[in-house]
Amino acid sequence: MTNQNNEAPSKNINELIHDARAPLNRISMQAELIKLVIENEMPPEKALEAANKIIDSCQECSQFLEQISNK
Amino acid sequence: MLNILLVDDDEEFTNVACHIIEFLGHDTSTASSLEEAYQILEFNDFDHIFLDFMLPDGSGLHLIDHINKSNKSPYITLITGHPLVKGMLSSLCGPKIGYLAKPLQREDLEQALSHKTQKKPSKKNDSSMPTKHFDCLIGESKAMQELYTMIERVARTQANVMLMGESGVGKEVVAQAIHYATNKANNSEYELVASNCGAISKDLITSELFGHEKGAFTGAIAKKEGVFQRAGNGTLFLDEVTEMPIDMQPNLLRVLENKKVTPVGGAKEIDVNCRVISASNRSVAEIAEKKCLREDIYFRLAVFPISIPALRERKEDIPLLANTFLNELNNEYDRNHQWDATQLQRLVDYDWPGNVRELRHTIHRAFIMSDPQSASVELPKDFRSPFSSISEQKHSLTAGQTIEDVEKELIKVTLADVNGNKSLAAEMLGISTKTLYNRLHAYGDFKD
Repeated sequence: MTNQNNEAPSKNINELIHDARAPLNRISMQAELIKLVIENEMPPEKALEAANKIIDSCQECSQFLEQISNK
Repeated sequence: MLNILLVDDDEEFTNVACHIIEFLGHDTSTASSLEEAYQILEFNDFDHIFLDFMLPDGSGLHLIDHINKSNKSPYITLITGHPLVKGMLSSLCGPKIGYLAKPLQREDLEQALSHKTQKKPSKKNDSSMPTKHFDCLIGESKAMQELYTMIERVARTQANVMLMGESGVGKEVVAQAIHYATNKANNSEYELVASNCGAISKDLITSELFGHEKGAFTGAIAKKEGVFQRAGNGTLFLDEVTEMPIDMQPNLLRVLENKKVTPVGGAKEIDVNCRVISASNRSVAEIAEKKCLREDIYFRLAVFPISIPALRERKEDIPLLANTFLNELNNEYDRNHQWDATQLQRLVDYDWPGNVRELRHTIHRAFIMSDPQSASVELPKDFRSPFSSISEQKHSLTAGQTIEDVEKELIKVTLADVNGNKSLAAEMLGISTKTLYNRLHAYGDFKD
């Protein structure tokens, strides 16, 4: 029983870390998109949209971190 | 242009990745589940598939099985957000299957799509690894940014490039970068052929450059293609081009002008279509003054001259380079050495007359000296190599200097060399210690 109890939370943490990588991945790719927009002088709206999505993903990431810290 | 399928249930990621991949000049399709991917694959062929490891209706591995059973063989890059899965995937990876770990960067996608070796699974400190521009160049300084812009611009043309810079700045690496950028701009996979003009004997240089027919001369037992031919539509890198004997240079000029070569002993001219990147560690002024390259050849080779900055002109890149070299060694020998801030500062403070090559060698030496059990690096007290000290000791004598100035300079240099030991300095200078003290007092600006 003790073992199971010990394993369960660590699994959850791994899962949470895994989940946190999804918004991180979106942040990274949106930032790359902003670079492309700037480098190629594309319409700034695209960059703005990507920046907003980055902010959303940061919030999401922060929530995951919160959950991890509560473990 | 490649036809690419992205399989991932994260819609925002697939959308933005599609944008980026399409910008890189490829066509994309997306699927958010295995089922959807099976359907798309039934009616479409793809060159490359980016595949999330965990999908709502199963693992990405099922899709690999499915593809293996069909007669299709696209390149596959598995994308995982799970650190534990990373190790498992690396054992799966074959020549056509690679993997990337989230978070992805544009460069990861580009590298995967170039179908070259993917990141080594054992690589440590991935997050702290600096960006490798054009897959090989490291540095974010202004001087390097300017260099990257020049590489980007010239890659879109066929112009011949001449690389100039001190010994050890990485001329061959810049040549590779131009070649890489050219292949990327044209979506091609041509070859880079390198030849060192300074290392080939005068008798063999024509045969090396233009090839020879069987029996063209004693010892020519078989036909040989020259480097111009071997480079095809790709890039020919001629290192130390200024060391080529001047009487051999007209042959080179003819090829550069006519874009045709005639192998030694051959009757037929062969068309050549490669870009020539040449390199020299002499400055333009020296090339002109010493006439080591004919003027007409210089203008043919240096349609686009690029000067590569010395390491001391981009000191802010030294920590990036030092970390990269140390990480490479750590990975190779499975160790975990790290720099401390003082060591990095010492590396930054030194002038590196032998440039990046010298930095790399110094780090390698320090790595060998370091205790494998400890995380610290044994950086030597003095970086100066025999070669760098020679160049450092070149104190210029110019007409018009007074004997007193020269004497003062000589005493200063000698004292610096023996760490201020006056008896030793006096002995080296062939004067008594007393005389040395007298001189020092007379100059007044030396401390006792």
